[in-house]
Amino acid sequence: MLVLSRQKNETIMIGDTIEITIVDVKGDKVRVGINAPLEIPVHRKEIYDAIKRENIEASTVETEPLAAAAGLFKKAKADKK
Amino acid sequence: MKIHTTRFGELEVGGDEIYYFPEGLLGFGSVKRYFTLANPTGGPFEWLQAVEPPNLAFVVCDPHTFKPDYQIKAKKEDMESIKIERVEDAVVRVILVIPKGHPERMTANLQGPIVFNVHAKLAKQLVLPGDDYGTRYRVFPEEALAGEKA
Repeated sequence: MLVLSRQKNETIMIGDTIEITIVDVKGDKVRVGINAPLEIPVHRKEIYDAIKRENIEASTVETEPLAAAAGLFKKAKADKK
Repeated sequence: MKIHTTRFGELEVGGDEIYYFPEGLLGFGSVKRYFTLANPTGGPFEWLQAVEPPNLAFVVCDPHTFKPDYQIKAKKEDMESIKIERVEDAVVRVILVIPKGHPERMTANLQGPIVFNVHAKLAKQLVLPGDDYGTRYRVFPEEALAGEKA
């Protein structure tokens, strides 16, 4: 991994279009500003990873538990009334 | 066109029923084409079935079924990428994880909802940045279930 030192308000360019600016540094927290073209999605990695993990788990679903799950919704609706 | 699926056998699906996901779903980036079908055993569920491979499918649900106040603030560029101009173009679904043998523990991924453009047949999984919603929202809260057993 390339490691660069930057101070507050200094910027890194990635290619011609992506700019990463150190906006603020306080203790162990760094605020980073990102300018990137619309077609480049920018996410916090832990959220991206969590969603990916959920997708992979969700894709293993079988049809079998769905009937019981449907029953639970029906019951929840009836309980509300 | 006839589409072979692992769970539902061979299905006849109209070409105009197929959604194109330009970026796929997270973790499945190379799979771009899906269609939806109602769950054969009822409930508020739909299946999001890949055209290819036959074994790739997800259970999705309208989040308002169990969380009426669910609201997403979609970014303009996300909406533009699937050509949504008006709210009426969009339908939001969330993916469910339903543990085998324990449907009451089902969770919904509220942080990664899928937005469908029902007219242009384009769709995208959003990554919501905030802390408002998690990836494992309990559809049936644990407290309610505990109360039932008592």
